[in-house]
Amino acid sequence: MNYMPGTASLIEDIDKKHLVLLRDGRTLIGILRSIDQFANLVLHQTVERIHVGKKFGDIPRGIFVVRGENVVLLGEVDLDKECDQVLQRVSIEEILEEQRTEQQAKQESERLKLQAVKERGLSIPKADTLDDF
Amino acid sequence: MDDSEHPEKTGESVPDASWPENGDQWSDKGEEEEDECGLLQEMAEEDEEIDLYNEETFGLDEATNGDNPAADPMDLLLLCSDNSPTPQSSPPPPHSSHSASRPGSRVWPHTPTGWSQRGRAGRGQLFDDPAVVKTVEGRPSLKSLDSAIVDCSLSSYWEDLNSNTWMIAPQKSSRPPAASILQDQAIVGVIDRSRHGRVPPVSPNFLSPMRPFSTSRGRRGPPFVGSFNQRCHYQAQKNPMVPCSPFRPQRLFSPQQQYNQPGGFLSPSRPPLSTPMPHTPKLMHLQFGTDSPRPAPFYSPSTNIMQGFRAPGPVAQFHPQHKRLLSQRQQRPHRKPVSWDPYSQIMTDKEKEWIIRLQMIQLQSKNPHLDDYYYQEYYQRIEAKLAEEEILGDRLKKEPPKLTTPYVTKALSYIPVVHIEGSLGQVAVSTCFSPRRAIDAVHANTSDEEHKDSRRQRLEVLSTIEKLYIVLLEVEEANKMKATVSDKDEERRLMQNIKRKVDQLYNELRCTNLLDSGEEFISCLLISKGKSMLARLLPFLSHDASLHILSVVTKNLPVLMSKDTDEALPVLYPSLRAVIDRLAFSQLIRNLKEFTATLPDSKDTRLTLACQNKFGLSLLYALLSQGERLLSSDLPMEPSIGDFETWTDTVFHVARQLSQTTLVEPLLLPSNLLTLFCRYLDKRTVHQLKNNMESATGYLAVAS
Repeated sequence: MNYMPGTASLIEDIDKKHLVLLRDGRTLIGILRSIDQFANLVLHQTVERIHVGKKFGDIPRGIFVVRGENVVLLGEVDLDKECDQVLQRVSIEEILEEQRTEQQAKQESERLKLQAVKERGLSIPKADTLDDF
Repeated sequence: MDDSEHPEKTGESVPDASWPENGDQWSDKGEEEEDECGLLQEMAEEDEEIDLYNEETFGLDEATNGDNPAADPMDLLLLCSDNSPTPQSSPPPPHSSHSASRPGSRVWPHTPTGWSQRGRAGRGQLFDDPAVVKTVEGRPSLKSLDSAIVDCSLSSYWEDLNSNTWMIAPQKSSRPPAASILQDQAIVGVIDRSRHGRVPPVSPNFLSPMRPFSTSRGRRGPPFVGSFNQRCHYQAQKNPMVPCSPFRPQRLFSPQQQYNQPGGFLSPSRPPLSTPMPHTPKLMHLQFGTDSPRPAPFYSPSTNIMQGFRAPGPVAQFHPQHKRLLSQRQQRPHRKPVSWDPYSQIMTDKEKEWIIRLQMIQLQSKNPHLDDYYYQEYYQRIEAKLAEEEILGDRLKKEPPKLTTPYVTKALSYIPVVHIEGSLGQVAVSTCFSPRRAIDAVHANTSDEEHKDSRRQRLEVLSTIEKLYIVLLEVEEANKMKATVSDKDEERRLMQNIKRKVDQLYNELRCTNLLDSGEEFISCLLISKGKSMLARLLPFLSHDASLHILSVVTKNLPVLMSKDTDEALPVLYPSLRAVIDRLAFSQLIRNLKEFTATLPDSKDTRLTLACQNKFGLSLLYALLSQGERLLSSDLPMEPSIGDFETWTDTVFHVARQLSQTTLVEPLLLPSNLLTLFCRYLDKRTVHQLKNNMESATGYLAVAS
């Protein structure tokens, strides 16, 4: 039953599996159990999913309470569609390893870029003065 | 300890705002209690807590002994404070804390008189003495009262209870150690979670600390369960709770909800309690265990929050549809337990309702069409579409789901700035709309210097325009409402309103003078926002006023065109076109003359410049087209002397110019232009013209 037609409300999403993207880039998948007026979420049987390329790994996390302002977006997971995944599930260690290598590669390219830019006499503002995402 | 009360207080203010519909109801009844509020209330709340805890510890005596427990928790603490070791001989039931502060609110079987007197004094002492306060410090008062931390209090509660038990026990020699009692009572019943569902949320005005119970308690301490089972027995009878005080209905309602699990609202379906219950009403909600008798709902289901909404206060009136919606929700049957998901009822219906209500309050507005414009528009369009469908034969009258929010009829005005006479500065008055008004920033009007910075002037004009935009929006909205309103007086009033505002706009815009130019309207026309504003205002202006603007535009066309860096001029075209279409011939001629007249400071004509500018060219075309229309129509034209000559002269002039210069693409190429030219010019020229115009536009100019 739609309590508030024409509005966006999380009430109908309760007790359904959701994918939540957080501001720090993490992806959580869990059953949405409770909300409040700030869209703080309580996720049950949560799993943090790390994606690297075409692979992904799940880290079971248990119960998550997420402060509303840290949510970028969330959406209901279609349980039927979830079964046919294009991506390949790997073990946690493997995905963490992949993530580490990806991070390293990114840092390396950033470093090279910065160096090249410096050589040309330009400067790029430091990342820590900017927002993360 | 006081600190712990404040969050509770502020917490209360939030949900009080969330039940505005109920506020009126409550205040009427609770007035006498309200008077005693404040410190007494706080003390009462504290008392309750203490009472409860002590009840837990010592109240079981009642079950076992059957006599009145000296188990007056207040006694204990009074003992501490008064240093009087003798327990009070005829202790009234420990619910006195409530009654003491709200004498009229309940009917207790054993109305304590001595207690109340003693209670008051004692309570004062109790709270004066910091030492006493400290003994109860271990209690999770803040946590238990904070609605956000429900589970925390549960877990901490048991630990505290235990510790308090041990703490208090040695002091009371007359009482057997509580722990052993509790353990003796042992496990009365295993809490069946799926049957009892979850505890209701701690709604912030729910003061009793015992509220945040959940069935998860069962996991923690089975021995305690038993005690509560006992408690409830006593609780129920003691509690013909009449919700008189503002907070009562809330409090009573929430604990009762446990009984209506899963997922439903308060249901009167429980069998009434038959066994006599001599004790604390507070413990009523402590009932657990499947086979213990449940207390009857002592307040009728009509204290249901939903029904509370039936009496809206002066603050909010309910839309009849909203009322219907609410009553529908009330009648909604209990949701059957989702058996496959044991965690499915973590968020109870009441909590969901609470959030929905809160969100709906945020949608309250006196003027929904203004505040929530997009939704209202969207809904109107959907309705219109559905109505259309219905007319077309789709008999099914399906009403689109509408978000009906309570609309506020009375405007609550607040004074954002409070100024005490003779003081320096302002008193800090913070509301939810203006949380902090630290400084009173006043725009300092700079003196009228001769040489003002042009940029600053521009900014001033811009700010004027922006302020006037609100007026324009009001005009547009009033116009829209005028179409829908049926009452004649209302319509007239609206029209007067519109006219007044339009005049205001017109006068203000004409006065803006940039660079001391003598021309009216120019300054706002030079700014893109001003252009779009004038374009929107033009439909509302009288014929003369709009004519005036048209002539201003035409006269200052070169300036406008040259300074139109944003290419915002075309925005004026539709409105001006509409004005031109209403022009009479002589007025038209006057405007057209401007085009061919040489400019004072250059030898170009407006004509030559206009050819290079989309807007200018389109304006010219529009004027010509109107002239042609007037001429070819049968309407009498009443031209003044010399009009026709001017007209033909202009046409020749224009034609010559147009055929010679390369033209830009106009905004709109009127179809009767070539007809016009054909009439006056020879074929060759016409042909040349045609080619020129077409090459600019890329599509054929329709020719006769």
